[in-house]
Amino acid sequence: MRDLFNVGSTTLLVAVVLILTVLAYGLVRSRVMSSVSGDARKLHSLPNYYGYNAAMLTAIPALFVLAIWMLVQPMLIQNAVIDMIPQSAVNEGSSVNLVMSDVRRVANGLDAAVQSGTLDADSARDMDVTATDVRALLAGTGVALGSDVTPEVLAAAQRYRSMEVTGRWLMIAVISVLVLGGMFIALRTARADFRARNTVERFLLGLLVLAASLAILTTVGIVLSMLFETLNFFRLHPWQDFFLGTTWAPNFRGDSDLSILPLLWGTLYISFIALLVAVPIGLFAAIYLSEYANNKVRAFAKPLLEILAGIPTIVYGLFALLTVGPFLVKVFGRGEDGLLGVDWMSGATSVLTAGLVMGIMLIPFVSSLSDDIINAVPQSMRDGSFGLGATHSETIRQVVLPAALPGIVGAVLLAASRAIGETMIVVLGAGAIARISGNPLEAMTTITTRIVSQLTGDTDFASPETLVAFALGLTLFVLTLGLNVLALLIVRKYREQYE
Amino acid sequence: MKDNVISETDVTTHKTKIAARNVQVYYGDTHAIKDVSVDIQDKTVTAFIGPSGCGKSTFLRCINRMNDTIDICTVKGDILIDGEDIYDSAVDPVQLRAKVGMVFQKPNPFPKSIYDNVAYGPRIHGLARNKSELDDIVERALKRGAIWNEVKDRLHAPGTGLSGGQQQRLCIARAVATEPEVLLMDEPCSALDPIATAQVEELIDELRQDYSVVIVTHSMQQAARVSQRTAFFHLGNLVEFGETDKIFTSPEDPRTESYITGRIG
Ligand SMILES: Nc1ncnc2c1ncn2[C@@H]1O[C@H](COP(=O)(O)OP(=O)(O)OP(=O)(O)O)[C@@H](O)[C@H]1O
Ligand SMILES: [Mg+2]
Repeated sequence: MRDLFNVGSTTLLVAVVLILTVLAYGLVRSRVMSSVSGDARKLHSLPNYYGYNAAMLTAIPALFVLAIWMLVQPMLIQNAVIDMIPQSAVNEGSSVNLVMSDVRRVANGLDAAVQSGTLDADSARDMDVTATDVRALLAGTGVALGSDVTPEVLAAAQRYRSMEVTGRWLMIAVISVLVLGGMFIALRTARADFRARNTVERFLLGLLVLAASLAILTTVGIVLSMLFETLNFFRLHPWQDFFLGTTWAPNFRGDSDLSILPLLWGTLYISFIALLVAVPIGLFAAIYLSEYANNKVRAFAKPLLEILAGIPTIVYGLFALLTVGPFLVKVFGRGEDGLLGVDWMSGATSVLTAGLVMGIMLIPFVSSLSDDIINAVPQSMRDGSFGLGATHSETIRQVVLPAALPGIVGAVLLAASRAIGETMIVVLGAGAIARISGNPLEAMTTITTRIVSQLTGDTDFASPETLVAFALGLTLFVLTLGLNVLALLIVRKYREQYE
Repeated sequence: MKDNVISETDVTTHKTKIAARNVQVYYGDTHAIKDVSVDIQDKTVTAFIGPSGCGKSTFLRCINRMNDTIDICTVKGDILIDGEDIYDSAVDPVQLRAKVGMVFQKPNPFPKSIYDNVAYGPRIHGLARNKSELDDIVERALKRGAIWNEVKDRLHAPGTGLSGGQQQRLCIARAVATEPEVLLMDEPCSALDPIATAQVEELIDELRQDYSVVIVTHSMQQAARVSQRTAFFHLGNLVEFGETDKIFTSPEDPRTESYITGRIG
């Protein structure tokens, strides 16, 4: 029993619940079988359903309460203990939260000491700072503390420990009641005419609904948290500057220019170049693969393209930085030494570098989506065109592509939304200078790059320079969401066409 | 059962338009057409009849080389149109299909407007010198397809928005718009009501003045009404081929007789 109070206790508890669950399954199944003297045809449901039902009744309420308990108990204890720490115990430059983390460390240290045998349970409970050097004692058990333990902290830690023990006991009691209660009900209802199958069905439905709503809730949660931080930002910074200003120049004097427009320009410019690369190449590749390539080529080329899609974007970023950028400099820069003898490009990072590499990244994305869409055009449509004496390319241009066009537009929009949200390639390939310029050989910066740089290093979540990252993120989110919705609407409309 | 007026004139034999010699068709390992030889005459309607899966569509598709689009399909033997071997490597299948039009078993209008569907072939082959000529071609084709009255007010509505039977007639109009010399029709009336069927049959009879028409049908009555010659296929073999009158009144092969009288199918 002692182990139940230690760190591993929850695991043990869960194990006990699961064992009882299996037991309930077997017990109820055999009971219901014996109630019809072994003739399963007299049961309303298959015997296993009675077992599943019993297992569910035993495990689900207990495990559910356990999960909630584990979340809520630390909060309740913290709230109770935090009142014991007087304002005077909080040092200059520190906060109640830091003191509380000390309290938790001391409490955990005492637990560890008791467990390793350095301390017996009674003396741990009645310890006094004046009598023992708590810091040295805990250091002996491997818990290092930053300062000496004050009486208030020790008292709070003692309280923390005792409440935790009470909490554990209560939890074990409640769980036991739930498990045994569940088993009892399961045994009571284990009759031949009980509709176990329908209950299991309802449970499965509940599980699916739960999964679906969790997915939706997290999305809502993400959006809300972004929204709140964004509102905080707009309290500190005028929205007119954010949406309508023309300069991006964060500083730490508090009069930063934080306008999204130069970043948006960089984002859209790079995405535009990326699409300029990816859409024709991806589309032509898809047309070749789905219309002309024979099975052998297809079996070899399709997986290859899909591998291209699986390369992590940071690798593409390195490719931009180390290969494409320097190559472009060699072509467009270096004056007399360059290939063109011009000096238009000074550094490896530029809109063109990032755009080209991002375009390469998007090729498999565009081609595999377009491939699916082109394949969805019924063969009878092609036959009709061939039957009228059209050539293959006439058929593709005049029948297949027009039929697939809405779907292809959808694919391009999806690619655009990926380009806009892409981060690693632009962090490494686009540069860090925010400006609005038409020259693709200049370095520019994007929304995603600025989010990264505003949130890395020392950040103070009360300054507009940091909070602007959330406003940028939310704008990006709205932008890509809009594109995705549009793309989905188009693709869906297209799907209906052949049904 | 048969239309005397039509068959009366048919005893005159026309020159051979399509000559097939020892044609074999394989889908992978499946032997779908077994050694079929047949002479199809010019200015004649030839009906292909036979139970489902016997290879009527397959043989029809050999005549305009549509089987080329199926990877696993191989065709052996010779098919001559006007004495020219269409499987010769010098023959361009694209050109051939302009000459040998086809109406498919399932209606397959393009997702374009009704007008563009019909104008598709003439545009590809440059049959019209200007817009008004193209308009004329489209109107004539739609009239021959017996669908003009239903669509004349919505020529720019999508062809896919028509009913199944209307779509089939649109496909017929589309095929005749390119003025082919041979028209292959794979069950063109299977989705049509009796009135539209009668109109299409009238069209077929009219086309016979200039073209050679091959029609696959499951309706004995239709074969008897529109065709002058009939070929009966069974399990990939050409069982019997001859004057429609003769096939339907005194078939030589017992299989033909059982099929016509409804004992095998
Ligand atoms: N694309 C294909 N791939 C493989 N086998 C095929 C293909 N098309 C047809 N076949 C086979 O060839 C045989 C002849 O088929 P075909 O379509 O010519 O029959 P049919 O006489 O037109 O029948 P129906 O009257 O039902 O249209 C059938 O056994 C069929 O299974
Ligand atoms: Mg068929």
